[in-house]
Amino acid sequence: MNRIKVLLENLRRGVVTEQYPFKPIRVPERLRGKPVIDPDKCAGCGACVNACPPNALTMRDDKHSSMRFIVLFIGRCIYCGKCEEACPFGAIRLTREFELAAENREDLYQVVGLRLYHCPLCGEPFTTVRLIKRVVEALPEEQRAAATLCPRCRESVTAHYRSYARR
Amino acid sequence: MKLYRRSLWVFHLNSGSCNGCDIEILNALAPRQDAERLGVKLVGSPRHADAILFTGPVTREALPSVVRAIQAVPEPKIVLAVGACACGGGIWHDSYCVLGGIQGLYRVLKSMGVAPPKTIYVPGCPPKPEAIIHGIMLARGLAGQRQARSEYFEEQGPAVKAEEDLHRLFHKCFPGRLPPKTARVEWGVTRY
Repeated sequence: MNRIKVLLENLRRGVVTEQYPFKPIRVPERLRGKPVIDPDKCAGCGACVNACPPNALTMRDDKHSSMRFIVLFIGRCIYCGKCEEACPFGAIRLTREFELAAENREDLYQVVGLRLYHCPLCGEPFTTVRLIKRVVEALPEEQRAAATLCPRCRESVTAHYRSYARR
Repeated sequence: MKLYRRSLWVFHLNSGSCNGCDIEILNALAPRQDAERLGVKLVGSPRHADAILFTGPVTREALPSVVRAIQAVPEPKIVLAVGACACGGGIWHDSYCVLGGIQGLYRVLKSMGVAPPKTIYVPGCPPKPEAIIHGIMLARGLAGQRQARSEYFEEQGPAVKAEEDLHRLFHKCFPGRLPPKTARVEWGVTRY
């Protein structure tokens, strides 16, 4: 008797198998899928690199080409979304894309290369041009010039001016 | 790529994974995402398999068994690296007790004189069952690859111009009267 019940139940329910590879599936609205960096918004500040738990996002400064590379390796990403929370410019975003299978490891990388900014005093590269530009634009007029220096030179310059003020 | 025209029999190999990917593999074979309708059959021995569904970051304890299982699969074989751990080491990539995913395993295989088999990477932590099925379809040549490498390099011209503008702003606000280049703040005291 019980088996007949199960049979009737199954007949009522019909086929449960999804036709996935031949028909697209309904992806949940808030699925955390492939992270994508918008290179136009990214300023290369490295907040996402600090936030990334598995170091899927890495940052490297190349002094010879004076470029900063933000490298996203999707093969190591755990889709926690911390980069999205950390990004101050909204440049990195988790899409709903999940079909990420690739034949080559190289296909799993996203590279964003940005120009390094050199300090006007010591000439050392310390961050990207884009970030300094955005910081300068956000600051009030009188603080702008000091923001163009590297932290070390800024310290020495402000100390120099303070010593002038004391005399 | 069309490696396999016919049914793909898979052997599920766990190399110290957290079981997340293993559960998703079982989901992919269960009635809802029925991978068996695509000819995928889970077999109990690597000798019967065409492909390995490889999960986990390859712990040092699991390494000898993993190497034996991979060598037992007859040629031509294919490895599906399922999950973030197998693809790139995942959250454990720099731990002392793992080899860091399938690349570390291939380094060991290379040192043993074994050519690494053809690999398909299925990232995800864990990947959706549909993502695993997509990887299998990629191996069968029934689906195209959607993921591609993307690169962006900022143009030199506008960036250099913006940098010069910022330098000009600095030199306008601090004309002359700059400390000598040797000036450094040490221990809170400015020395010239």
